[in-house]
Amino acid sequence: MSNILEVKNLTMHYETIDGDVDAVKNVSFNVKAGESFGIVGESGCGKTSVAMSLLQLQAENGKISNGSILFDGLELVGMSENDLRKVRWDGISIVFQGAMNAWNPVVKIGEQIREAMREHSPESSKSQNTLKINELFTMVGLDSSVADRFPHELSGGMKQRAIIALALSCDPKLVIADEPTTALDVVIQDQILNEIKKVQELLGLSLIYISHDIAVIAEMTDKIAVMYAGSIVEIGPTEQVFKFPKHSYTRSLLDSTPSIRGEKKKLRSLEGEPPSLINKIDGCSFSPRCPTPTNGCKNQSIEMGLVKVGNDHYADKCCSECTSE
Amino acid sequence: MYKYIFKRVYQLIIVFFLFLVTSYLLFDAIPGNAFQNMLLNPGLPPGAYEQVLALYGLDKPLSERVVLYITNFFKGDFGYSYKYFPKTPIELIAERLPRTLMLFAMVNIVSFYTGFLIGKILAWRRGSKSETWITITSVFSYTVFYPWFALMMLWFFGYKMDWLPIGKFLYPEKWYDAPFDSDVIFVLMIKFVVIVSVIQFLIYMFTRNIESLNTKRNLRFIGLILNIIGSFIFWNTGDALTKKLYAMDIAYHMILPVFTVTVVAFAGTALLTRTTMMEVLKDDYILTARAKGLSQRRIRDRHAARNALLPVVTSFIFTIVTIIDGSVLTETIFSWPGMGQLILDSVLNEDIPVAMATFSFIGVFALIAHFIADISYAYLDPRIRIQSQG
Amino acid sequence: MNNLENEKEIAKSIRKAAILKNWKLFKQSRLGMVGLYIVAFFFILTILQPILFITGIWDEGTYHPVVGYVDQTQDFLIVECPKEFPTEKYEKRSDCPGRKEVNIKTLFYADGEVGETIQLNLQPAPPSRDHILGTDSLGRDVFSQIMEGSQVAFLLGILSATLGVGISTILGTIAAFFGGRIDAYLMRQSDLVLMLPTLPLLFIISAFAELKIWHLAVVLGTIGGLGGSVITIKSQALQVKVKPFVDSARITGGSQMKILFSHVLPNVAPLALLFMVFSVTGAIASESVLSFLGLLNIEMSWGLMIYLAQVEGYIFSGLKYWWLILPAGLSVTFLTGGFYLVGRGLDEVFNPRLRKR
Repeated sequence: MSNILEVKNLTMHYETIDGDVDAVKNVSFNVKAGESFGIVGESGCGKTSVAMSLLQLQAENGKISNGSILFDGLELVGMSENDLRKVRWDGISIVFQGAMNAWNPVVKIGEQIREAMREHSPESSKSQNTLKINELFTMVGLDSSVADRFPHELSGGMKQRAIIALALSCDPKLVIADEPTTALDVVIQDQILNEIKKVQELLGLSLIYISHDIAVIAEMTDKIAVMYAGSIVEIGPTEQVFKFPKHSYTRSLLDSTPSIRGEKKKLRSLEGEPPSLINKIDGCSFSPRCPTPTNGCKNQSIEMGLVKVGNDHYADKCCSECTSE
Repeated sequence: MYKYIFKRVYQLIIVFFLFLVTSYLLFDAIPGNAFQNMLLNPGLPPGAYEQVLALYGLDKPLSERVVLYITNFFKGDFGYSYKYFPKTPIELIAERLPRTLMLFAMVNIVSFYTGFLIGKILAWRRGSKSETWITITSVFSYTVFYPWFALMMLWFFGYKMDWLPIGKFLYPEKWYDAPFDSDVIFVLMIKFVVIVSVIQFLIYMFTRNIESLNTKRNLRFIGLILNIIGSFIFWNTGDALTKKLYAMDIAYHMILPVFTVTVVAFAGTALLTRTTMMEVLKDDYILTARAKGLSQRRIRDRHAARNALLPVVTSFIFTIVTIIDGSVLTETIFSWPGMGQLILDSVLNEDIPVAMATFSFIGVFALIAHFIADISYAYLDPRIRIQSQG
Repeated sequence: MNNLENEKEIAKSIRKAAILKNWKLFKQSRLGMVGLYIVAFFFILTILQPILFITGIWDEGTYHPVVGYVDQTQDFLIVECPKEFPTEKYEKRSDCPGRKEVNIKTLFYADGEVGETIQLNLQPAPPSRDHILGTDSLGRDVFSQIMEGSQVAFLLGILSATLGVGISTILGTIAAFFGGRIDAYLMRQSDLVLMLPTLPLLFIISAFAELKIWHLAVVLGTIGGLGGSVITIKSQALQVKVKPFVDSARITGGSQMKILFSHVLPNVAPLALLFMVFSVTGAIASESVLSFLGLLNIEMSWGLMIYLAQVEGYIFSGLKYWWLILPAGLSVTFLTGGFYLVGRGLDEVFNPRLRKR
């Protein structure tokens, strides 16, 4: 299977009045067609920034200073705005965090979906579009009357499903789901996750799933990348990473998640906070909080980079040399 | 719900009542009265001044006069103008109102439309050098010292270049043997402007739901052309044909005042639109629109501007309320005898019935405008619309 | 005791840091900075005048804006203006008499024949080395008048704005907090004030009261304070009232007054500050308009300068007597514009959604 997305050395920073914030540092990963790829990490680790950069939707003061993003053979970095607009939604679409506000409050839901359709397939007629919308709604479990409603008339769960329908409306090849269920209760969350999986299988979509919820990621993804302070610290097949976590950070994440089965053990949470990304960090950014630092870490002078630690499984160089428990 | 409306109406009546009393007391506080100029006449027979005062009831004590006026007011009797006796204040207002309305209807339409357009573009190009300087220029256009600016305009276009007339709303020579009163012409012009605007608005509403962008644009363009042709036919046939020349004369006189006021007024709308749009642009649905791959123009107009419209329309309605207040200066400088001049005149001449009548008119106008503003806001924002229905 | 002092120190330093951060944000706003420069420029003019007088650089007899006078004479050539134009010497009617000429028909106080030169007073005098902006028809230095006008504008503006904002903040907060009848009364009162047309109201008041600067400031401040701003501040205060911390403050025994001051006021302060800046623009504009119509008893202000120019018929002279008209008009425009821009800049500081980054 070929790669639908190849990201190499993506580096992005935000320019603020207090200085430059390095949000994404040398991030590289590949997503195969039909694969479900997860990005997990704490709030502020850069996962949303990566997602936004893929479509160049980052905030005005965000600049990509290095790297390449190959989507289906097209180089997205450096593409003109006009060309990017064609790729957006048609090739890659996003399900945003907080669907509550993703809808324009004064326009009906159906019209907002039609708008996207008109943009990318202008030849299709009104009835063709209506048919498609109904299909999409059925797929996500919504009644077709929703199309005539305004956003505030829908519940949170309905809005989220509608967002998924919107994301699929132009038959994209890759869908980015950025914490799509964070604001919902667990019951709806479960439903939505099932919908997403179902849709993905049905349409053969590639999916990038972003979350800070390890449990959800475990359920939804084939391959996973763990991010910390703007860099990927570990990446590999989900099962592998969960069973044999190599990086201290990954281990700490897994340790802090309670499990229903298995032995009862004390939850170990990480002390401290992620570092402020304004100050340039030399070496391993995790070392201040690492429970198993080596001598090299303390000096913070080690060159970071991913090394192979298993079949298709890579971890940050430093911690692959850390003693494992 | 009804209880609330009832309570509000009841409070409104009390406020209006207090308004009347306050106004009367204010007018009375002005030293002298409307007839004191009589005393300058050396040939005045003794006792004539007192007789005149007694005739108009001005010799009664203040408390009695206030009560008398208020009771008469609610009976519908507004008295007679002191200066233009025997005209009643209603007649005077009816005479002056169309003139002010015509002028300020034009100003408001043009300045609102231009202001919204410019504000929309300014907010969109935020941060660019041109945006900053255009905004700053708009600010100075907004705060320019109006009397000075108006006089400069008058001097330049009227006196120096001699392109436009200096003051007044018609050339008396042209109207010498006119079979019509200027009021008739004004009313006709106002009707015309209103009808054209309504037709244009209806065209807009009907083409709202059309799927294809190109057809929508074409239809609207055709509608506009039809409107222009229709106007042409209107003015060249039948009744309107005879009045055309007079209407053109008035229109010619309107150019300079409308232009001057528009320059000042558009900036207010532009700046408000700009601020509102800037806030709207930070909303998440703008991000969604960008992600959908929509063109910049579409995001700006269809999503951002549409949401910014709400507060701007509300402010527009409040601007209408201050029409008469704002027209005082314009009408004085351009010698355009309308409501503004009427108020100023009546205050300066202590023509209390007229002054009270105009103040009451403004007061009622303000109350109605607030009410309309509430309703239109509810209509434009579907969130509120549903709430009030459900 | 020590702890309390420490706390106060910490609170102070937090406040200082906050003010610094706000200043940094304000500096970012180009609009705000341009406005600030303009206001600063006029402020310098304001203090410049007394300094010039006190240090003796300027002689009060000559340069005082109201009673100064300088004798300036010039040689004029007496001419007779023809009845029709154009002629060899003059192209248009306005060309005769020229700069150094005087029409014999306008000579009332002197005798002379056509072709003679005569010495006449040159008022109003065009700008010269001694008088940067020339003098007006009474021989008073225009630049000094501009500075005096600047003083009036600042005084009036800040006084009335402070008064107005003070009144509306107090009333708005009271309305929000005590609700019920007090709220209803205050809202109706605002309605009443809103219904009265401003300009005619000012006319009436000027008719029965001699309005000097202080009086006008109080009037403008009161009218502004009792009007629509009460409603806006009330809604802002209401937003604070429903926040949980107010309830918790009440439960832990804080008196209502204390809650009012320490919680509500800081929240309402940005809005009030914004109102204040915009009120200044309104006050300066109102004063100028009223002076222009001759309704005020202020000795010298920008509006008055234009009033005099109009009454003496110099407005339609076009660019010939520009120093009588342009400086005053431009000053009003720029100072009000400057304050408005500062207000916009403050807007960006207080409303994060309006910032660029």
